[in-house]
Amino acid sequence: MLRVFYLSLFDYDLTSPPKYVGLANFKFLLHDDRFHQSFGASIFFLLAAYVPAVLLALLIALGLNTRMRGSGLVRLLYFAPVATSWVAVSVIWRLVLHPNGALNESLGLHVNWLTSTSSAKWGVALTAIWKEVGFFVIIFLAGLQNVPRELYEAASLDGAGAFSRFRYITLPLIKPISAVVAVMAVIRGFQAFSAQVVLTDGSFNTEVVNLFIYKTAFASARMGRASAVAVLMFLLLAVVSLAQLRVLRRSDR
Amino acid sequence: MSARQRTFARFLVLLAGGLIFASVFAYAVLSAVKPPDEILGTKLWPSEWRWSNFTLPFKTAPFARYYLNSVVVGVSVTLLNVITCTLAGYSFAKFDYRGRNVLFFLVLATLMIPLEVIYVPLYALVFKLGWVNSFAGLIIPSGTSAFGIFLMRQSMESVPDELIDAARIDGAGELRILRSVVAPMMVSPMAALALFIFMANWDSHLWPLLVASDDAHRTLPVGLAAMQANNLGSSGIPTMMAAAILALLPTLVLFLVLQRKFVEGVTMTAGIK
Repeated sequence: MLRVFYLSLFDYDLTSPPKYVGLANFKFLLHDDRFHQSFGASIFFLLAAYVPAVLLALLIALGLNTRMRGSGLVRLLYFAPVATSWVAVSVIWRLVLHPNGALNESLGLHVNWLTSTSSAKWGVALTAIWKEVGFFVIIFLAGLQNVPRELYEAASLDGAGAFSRFRYITLPLIKPISAVVAVMAVIRGFQAFSAQVVLTDGSFNTEVVNLFIYKTAFASARMGRASAVAVLMFLLLAVVSLAQLRVLRRSDR
Repeated sequence: MSARQRTFARFLVLLAGGLIFASVFAYAVLSAVKPPDEILGTKLWPSEWRWSNFTLPFKTAPFARYYLNSVVVGVSVTLLNVITCTLAGYSFAKFDYRGRNVLFFLVLATLMIPLEVIYVPLYALVFKLGWVNSFAGLIIPSGTSAFGIFLMRQSMESVPDELIDAARIDGAGELRILRSVVAPMMVSPMAALALFIFMANWDSHLWPLLVASDDAHRTLPVGLAAMQANNLGSSGIPTMMAAAILALLPTLVLFLVLQRKFVEGVTMTAGIK
């Protein structure tokens, strides 16, 4: 871990000894368009994939959080994508998103999901939503189990409707779990790699930061510069996590 | 609408949504067995079921090799993790020594750091050790996990000290105590850990891509991605669908059989419970 900070100050290509360059790597990144674009691509992916995934997961979890016959089976349908690997899923979604694939044909669309700058990022986001919803459903369900059922019954007796029950009972009680979900979503969003590699190989504005690091470090053998990106990434994630936890804790009081 | 009808309506909506989710799997299987000219377009049902398409990945690429590599690496990494995390967890939970809390804090701190941040220097280290394109490079760096150590420590706190002291008085060595007294009580967390690690490893793509780029060491995710890059045309679709389905089958089956443990594992990553 400390070594990554150390390496970020060097020009290093594995074979020759590292050469000290000070902050040059960081300065280069500051002005590198490709790095800026990859950063933008990561932020876009995070928002376009994880915001809908988390909201959808919350809805599904609220729906599943009752005892009904067959709900175990329904859960399975949502959880199954979580138990699959990103690369295999992305291979399948290449076909789903094919111009004559399942998505376009079933909805009567004519979108070039993976081969145009305007829609490729949405195609990747759709894949990620499908893959990740179940993960957050599991976590929300675990959080909802801590909400005592009697509270709802008491509120119903007092004449509270479904919405106000959600607003005044569920929402405050799932706040801690929402903080955890938010942090996990940010981290998972920035870890994105496989879907982008398989679906577009980073073309059409889908080269996320991780793919940028990979290409910088291993295709162009610039370990020092890649380390500098990793350092920035780490600082960003640490700040985001802390800030999120802080905000949620404050509104808790 | 009565409350009962409302519950039923909600059930139907959730079921429909779930079926849409699962339809992607069905679509993949149908596409894998269709004749090539029926895959794209509106024809959902194959005119002819070509189950033999599932042999295509083995004929056109070293798919069996990738598969075997994934199994070998997955099982080794899982076993190593269960052993190292149990040992470390036992030490952190049941022994008092100088620096224990500092050490444990360091372990927890690494929990926060995603692999992506450290893999450049990690690769440089593995490169120096000559482990590039070797199973050692694939397995050893993943041999333990902060999450696993944390989980095993938390679980072992519940083992009563009296039980361990009694075994010590009876003259049992520490490893013997761990094996015969503590481990049998830890079967459940160990199983959850094993399942979690195996699944994570099966999905692992970035690290194997760095350290194992030759065919002899490629794991499934790396191999599959390479096959995809070679099969971009529509004639390669049956091969790729068959390969993807075969690749996701083991973890999907594990999930179906061990649902509860799986949910437990995911929940633990969120630190609830």
